Amino acid sequence: SPDNKNATGGDSKLVDGDQHQTVIPNLAAYVHVNPNLTQLFHQVQGGPLATHVSSDLLKRSVPIAVDRAIREIIQPVVERSVSIACITTKAIVTKDFAMEADENKLRKAAQLMVANLAGSLALVTCRDPLHTSISSHLRTLLMNAIENNSNSASSASGPAASASTVVLQEPEKNALDQCVAICSTENLELGCMLIEKAATEKAVRDIDEAIAVTFSIRQTSRRETGQPYYDMTIFQDGRYPKELPDPLRPKPGGLRPDQLLVYEAFQRTPRQPTAPSAQTGSIDGQGARLSNVDQMGVDNQQPPVEGGSLGVSAGVLNLNAINAIAMKLDS
Amino acid sequence: INPAMPIRPPPQPTDELHSLVLQLIDRDQREGALLELSKRRENFPDLAPILWHTVGCVAALLQEIASIYPSLAPPTLAAHASNRCCNALALLQCVASHPDTRSLFLGAHVPLYLYPFLNTQSKSRPFEYLRLTSLGVVGALVKMDDADVINFLLQTEIIPLCLRIMESGSELSKTVATFIVQKILLDDVGLGYVCATAERFYAVSTVLNNMVGALASSPSVRLLKHIVRCYLRLSDNTRARDALRQALPASLRDDTFAAALRDDVTVKKWLGQLLSVVGPPDQSLPQGAQ
Repeated sequence: SPDNKNATGGDSKLVDGDQHQTVIPNLAAYVHVNPNLTQLFHQVQGGPLATHVSSDLLKRSVPIAVDRAIREIIQPVVERSVSIACITTKAIVTKDFAMEADENKLRKAAQLMVANLAGSLALVTCRDPLHTSISSHLRTLLMNAIENNSNSASSASGPAASASTVVLQEPEKNALDQCVAICSTENLELGCMLIEKAATEKAVRDIDEAIAVTFSIRQTSRRETGQPYYDMTIFQDGRYPKELPDPLRPKPGGLRPDQLLVYEAFQRTPRQPTAPSAQTGSIDGQGARLSNVDQMGVDNQQPPVEGGSLGVSAGVLNLNAINAIAMKLDS
Repeated sequence: INPAMPIRPPPQPTDELHSLVLQLIDRDQREGALLELSKRRENFPDLAPILWHTVGCVAALLQEIASIYPSLAPPTLAAHASNRCCNALALLQCVASHPDTRSLFLGAHVPLYLYPFLNTQSKSRPFEYLRLTSLGVVGALVKMDDADVINFLLQTEIIPLCLRIMESGSELSKTVATFIVQKILLDDVGLGYVCATAERFYAVSTVLNNMVGALASSPSVRLLKHIVRCYLRLSDNTRARDALRQALPASLRDDTFAAALRDDVTVKKWLGQLLSVVGPPDQSLPQGAQ
């Protein structure tokens, strides 16, 4: 489909050999790296950290670490959250809307409920593993870079020198730990948001399919008999809901506004990832970023960013790409 | 009966119940209704099916649960929010233990929404209370000795969650978590599940051993009782029985707990049974460890 083509646009980014691109296009524009972080290494001047870990290296490595961590975690988290949320939503909505003849009301309520539940579950499940995963990928990337750089440095000074493992001293280990911790904490929300969003969107697609019969049976009934459809099976066994008083019971004519309100309360403003307005890297960049959240438009139709123009495309993350990752979960 | 009281018809408890349940639907009145209903849930035998079948009620309770997820990590849950959610959980506990609603509750996978609470690590009171109340809901489910409950739970991560709480929770949480594991083991499918691989068996027996170790300095008869029952049940499985010959902690074999168990005939009987079934350890092998 054209959608999928868009979504995986910039196919070169998917090539495994390309170590410097993120699979999630444009991710670098949303990743926050404090350029002053390298000051952490000043106290260990002369060591491998101060020599080989530059601000540029961090800026290149953090998006890759975030990208790998998201891709590592997103599938099991989204799959589990969406499947649980769909089962719950189907069970609850089917009984509550049994006497609601308007399939659109039923559908909207189900979508709001499933999106909230799946998103909430995904968010609460992904946070810790994502934090751990970003940290571990970033540490590996930085250690690899240090080793490559120091090996190429030593082979330049003497061709006989063979590749060796760099051993960090205690103060350097601490500085690296701190740097990795700051970078992963600062970008954790971004990763969480993307996973939450993938879960929410898949849930809405899946619930439509899961309760498709409840829509069609209502449409068919109206078309063929001219009568609204009521699911009377809920009164078949047991004392309840038969014996419930009117205000509590599913009734012909459908849900009252106050009952619908419960379902409308599942609505939340989904958080959207936004790029830092300027990569100044000030410590309070975080605050500025969060306050931007509501103002940033997210354009689902936006064509993929071509070539190397990462990060300059109006600060909008290409959500088709995220959707593409979530789509893969469907197959 | 106070003769000075004027005689008038008592308010119909069901009318009051219905109006409280209706208040649950209303966001503005929900908090008060949650408190009132959870306090008086024992007085209303039909509360569970009424909650389940009332339009919007389960949806409202699920909203209460999901709305505090964001305060779990980083741990910022305040006492007030924890209390409010625990009241919602108390109502779900009714639904979990009522014979007419238990299978509906499982069918809608509602227990899984409690797992994020069981997965928290913070030792602060709001979290401890939330974990304990969530364990209470699962405890109410397994108490019913319903094979469907065990089959449902075995598809989920409940055993690892319980094991972690048994390792690091408060005494009360440990007791409820151990009770849940005990109930799972008492089911044939549950016992088979835990003993199916050496990994699973040792995951459980190691945690039990550690708990016994911790109890040596401050014995809790209540907790010890569930631990011994777990061991005894494990010994019904041939392979587990063989493994326990070495893995059973030495303090259960000597008189470490003699004083603590002096007055508890049942636990003493179970412990005696366990030791005679398992038999003495092979002296040539290391004992009390895996």
